[in-house]
Amino acid sequence: MAEVARPAGAGVAVRVPAGVRARAAVNTALWRLFLGFTFLALFGPLVILLLFSFNDSNILAFPLEGFTLNWYSVAWQDTLLRESLVNSTVVAFIVAPVCLVLGTLTGFGLTRFRFHGRGLIGGLVGAPLILPWEVIGIAALMAYGRMHIELNLRTVIATQTICTFPLVTAIVSAQLFRFERVQEEAAIDLGCSRLQVLRHIIMPHIASALAASAIFAFTWSFNNFEISFFTIGFQQTFPIWVYSSVRNPDHTAVVNAVSVVISAVQVVMIYAALKLLRRGGAASALGIPSEEEL
Amino acid sequence: MAAVATPVRRTRRTGRGIFGIMFAPVTLLIVLFLAPMLIMVQMSVVRFPPNVASGYVLEHYRTVLTDPINLKIWWTTLYIGSTAMAIMLAIAMPLAYYMVFKAGKWELFILLALVLADELAPVVKIYAWQSILGREGILNWLIPGSPIAWLLFSRFAVIVTLASTYITYTTIPIYAAMKAIDFSMIEAAVDLGAGWWTQARKILIPLAAPGIFIAMILVYIPMLTDFVTADIVGGTGSYMMGQRVRDLILSGGDWGSGAALNFVMLVVSVVASVFAYWLARLNKIDR
Repeated sequence: MAEVARPAGAGVAVRVPAGVRARAAVNTALWRLFLGFTFLALFGPLVILLLFSFNDSNILAFPLEGFTLNWYSVAWQDTLLRESLVNSTVVAFIVAPVCLVLGTLTGFGLTRFRFHGRGLIGGLVGAPLILPWEVIGIAALMAYGRMHIELNLRTVIATQTICTFPLVTAIVSAQLFRFERVQEEAAIDLGCSRLQVLRHIIMPHIASALAASAIFAFTWSFNNFEISFFTIGFQQTFPIWVYSSVRNPDHTAVVNAVSVVISAVQVVMIYAALKLLRRGGAASALGIPSEEEL
Repeated sequence: MAAVATPVRRTRRTGRGIFGIMFAPVTLLIVLFLAPMLIMVQMSVVRFPPNVASGYVLEHYRTVLTDPINLKIWWTTLYIGSTAMAIMLAIAMPLAYYMVFKAGKWELFILLALVLADELAPVVKIYAWQSILGREGILNWLIPGSPIAWLLFSRFAVIVTLASTYITYTTIPIYAAMKAIDFSMIEAAVDLGAGWWTQARKILIPLAAPGIFIAMILVYIPMLTDFVTADIVGGTGSYMMGQRVRDLILSGGDWGSGAALNFVMLVVSVVASVFAYWLARLNKIDR
């Protein structure tokens, strides 16, 4: 595949009749412009936050005024912010493992067993992924209110869990679908117990998908705004803190600083998750082809 | 198969196994997801919710569907959503085309960047647009003359921000659909002298149509209920349905209308998703 190494557009240009090389060059330039614009729209806002987090002024105004690390130390000392970060972290550290267990069980059940009502249960598991979080959040708010259950971090955890574990199911199922059932049956015929099959055949195969789904569940939970917004009491999670802070002009610089740190951590986590997924091929759950498919 | 030797034992074990596996997740879904949905539906038909003893009426649905304020908000929401959708399709289709047919080794990089952009700190990303579109933001700084006021806290701001938020979900289904197109078809069209517009109109768009529809449905559903974007970058002219439902319930305390409106949204989402699923099945792109 020599063509792949050539710059974009060249592969097509070769086949076009001679004399249109200039047009091909314009073509390539237009594509680059388009891609540049798209990436600017995707990541430009975050780059600008990064710039402003070092800016020696509290307002989001150009031109920049000078370099400072002050906002990072202000952010570090903000107790409300620290509380919200702790809350989000606690919630995510509970939601992610619980979702990992529930999602994996469901993935096994739906891909490895044939039983009555399988389609119905599949629909029930998929529903939280399809319905908007606002709809789910409001329904949960009403249900908790009706049952006189006090809203706090526990209600956030409960509702986030049922909205997040189907994502794990989707990823794990995608991995299990790719796995030859014959291998499991061979192991059983050779005298392996169910547990041994799980330990030596299935686990190594889905380990990377599990790790990746744990990371995705964690970031989903940490970043979740809508569900937390409707099911939380007087505490704040990090996205809720951001939401209420951006309406307060005194806070903008602090939001910038802390957002930069959080985004940096998440870039690393999500990158690792995507790497893991591609190794196993379960990325198809997110629409991403595996290594051998490309 | 081993099952042939001891069929009875095997089925029984499987039966118990599946019960053990699915018990916890299904119970949780019923208690924490299905039951709240039913309670919401109940609230939408109770005369004075949450007081169930006040009797059942369909009044709230009538109010929700005929109130001129709601109709105006539906219109605003559809206008904002559809404009954002048009922008996203205008970006997503060439982007998907580029990824499939031209990007080569960069294909994966672009894909990962799209996923990353989607997963990264959602509320923060919306808020970041303030620094671009604001009176003293980067755009007004770059554009000479007096600052343009309508860039931020306006419909325009909501449309731009929504488009940048949901571009990942628009691109990936179209990308998946285009991935299935045989490149030799496009080569044949080029050899026969078709220009880019003819190629797009006669080959790409018809063959990617299911992916385009799925993308539209996937993105319309969350966009119609989005209230964070309009809260942070919107103004008085961009009051959307998501905000309306939230305000009815949290500020107005009107559970009846709120629940009815929420249920309308639920039905729309379910119908749209079933349609998308059917399209995906039809075209075998739900891998």
